[in-house]
Amino acid sequence: MGPLDDQVVRADSLTATPDGLDIAVYSHWYRALPLPSLVKADLTVDGERIEPSTLSVTVNGHRYGFGELAEHGDEYWFTTDPVVLHVPVETAPGREHRVQLLLGLSIPYILTGPDRVPLVAPSSTDKTLTAAGASS
Amino acid sequence: MTDTAPGLPRLGTTLFSLSLEQRQPGRDFASLVNEVAARDLGPGLEMVAFQSLRGWPRLSDAAVREVRGVIDASGLTPSCLAINNDLGLYPGRLLSDDESYEYVAVQVRGAAALGFPVTRVGVETGPAILERLLPVAEELGVKVGVEIHAPLTIEAPPVASLKDLFTRLDTEWLGFIPDMSSSMRAVPDAVDDAHRAAGIAPELTALTKELWAEPGPTMAKFPELERRAAEAGANPAQVGNLKMMFTMHGKMEPERWADFFPHVVHVHGKFYGVVEGPEGLTDPSIDWPAVARVLRDQHYTGFISSEYEAHAYSDRYNAFDQVRLQHDMLKSLLEAEPAVAR
Repeated sequence: MGPLDDQVVRADSLTATPDGLDIAVYSHWYRALPLPSLVKADLTVDGERIEPSTLSVTVNGHRYGFGELAEHGDEYWFTTDPVVLHVPVETAPGREHRVQLLLGLSIPYILTGPDRVPLVAPSSTDKTLTAAGASS
Repeated sequence: MTDTAPGLPRLGTTLFSLSLEQRQPGRDFASLVNEVAARDLGPGLEMVAFQSLRGWPRLSDAAVREVRGVIDASGLTPSCLAINNDLGLYPGRLLSDDESYEYVAVQVRGAAALGFPVTRVGVETGPAILERLLPVAEELGVKVGVEIHAPLTIEAPPVASLKDLFTRLDTEWLGFIPDMSSSMRAVPDAVDDAHRAAGIAPELTALTKELWAEPGPTMAKFPELERRAAEAGANPAQVGNLKMMFTMHGKMEPERWADFFPHVVHVHGKFYGVVEGPEGLTDPSIDWPAVARVLRDQHYTGFISSEYEAHAYSDRYNAFDQVRLQHDMLKSLLEAEPAVAR
């Protein structure tokens, strides 16, 4: 909830590549978070649910499988940088896609409840955007 | 730099106030610091290390030189570096005490390298870790302050144990950082914007504000809020947003800040908007005249970092302009009577 929710997926976030659709995603939290904080990326593209296990993610110039992020606690997703979700759906430059994303960030210093579980801060996006072509 | 009169608290700004501005195209660390200086919103400069400093907590020597260079050139005075104890760094477990100590100690050393005299940690950094940090703090000359933020108040159990610790150790290097979110007199109107955007009916926002304002401990009001909001048609996500208003906005009487002295090492001037009222500038949600009285009575001469947080709810206001208004209001409140000689 708040103004940053609208910036999670921006007008220029979609890029068509030969391998599929790249989606640049920005954080709705105010500070850099360690990579294991990216705990949830429930993504639907054009009505089709994308299994998180089929996603890979580029952050700080490194590409990881979504499940591998949990092992990289010594690396941070900086406040103003996007991470890029690589989505295995067919696309082409100029094609429109409806992107529905429920992003969940585990906030490692806000512990909740008697079991001291980190807060998961959600942000929900539903936008229809046009994919640009990949620059060479 | 405009400063308050000698013997009074000093003003400043935390870059956290500028969280939305930070994301504007063309903005970088130097441009934010320079605009704080150009608009005379110092002399104190605070920031959240993980928000503002790329590469934190392991800055290269070159990055340290660059950050110090920007701050030096601005003429601002480093006041406090907010650091974090990311206990929930890895899924399914919390950091051990040794890991947690190391995680924070590295950042206290980083703050020293950048020239900050105070670091801020959260209450998740408990007495045992703080006691282990004391020799590091002493050696580096960097204070470690535990932020007292909503929903914490003077009555919260962790506060009593911290107070016992600071009293027992009798040290100036550990202490409290009061944040005015704990002592509010009204829920800020900026939440209306966020609730509207989240599809929450205005009646539900009004109901939550009404319950908040009623007497009694806020935590005891959660069941009634949940019940009445659900009856009025709120979905679970919306109920979560409404409950956040109780968590983010504490109702401690501002006079109680006196009980945190003499262990206060820094102050967060949290606010959600200052407006021009019939009798001049005023803050509808925080009783600054009462807070200023406490700080003066306690002879506090450290910094009050202006921390504008309505950006979490609304992008309708310019944060630089808001901090300007708060500084004008605070300066006039603090200088209303001659400073008492110490």
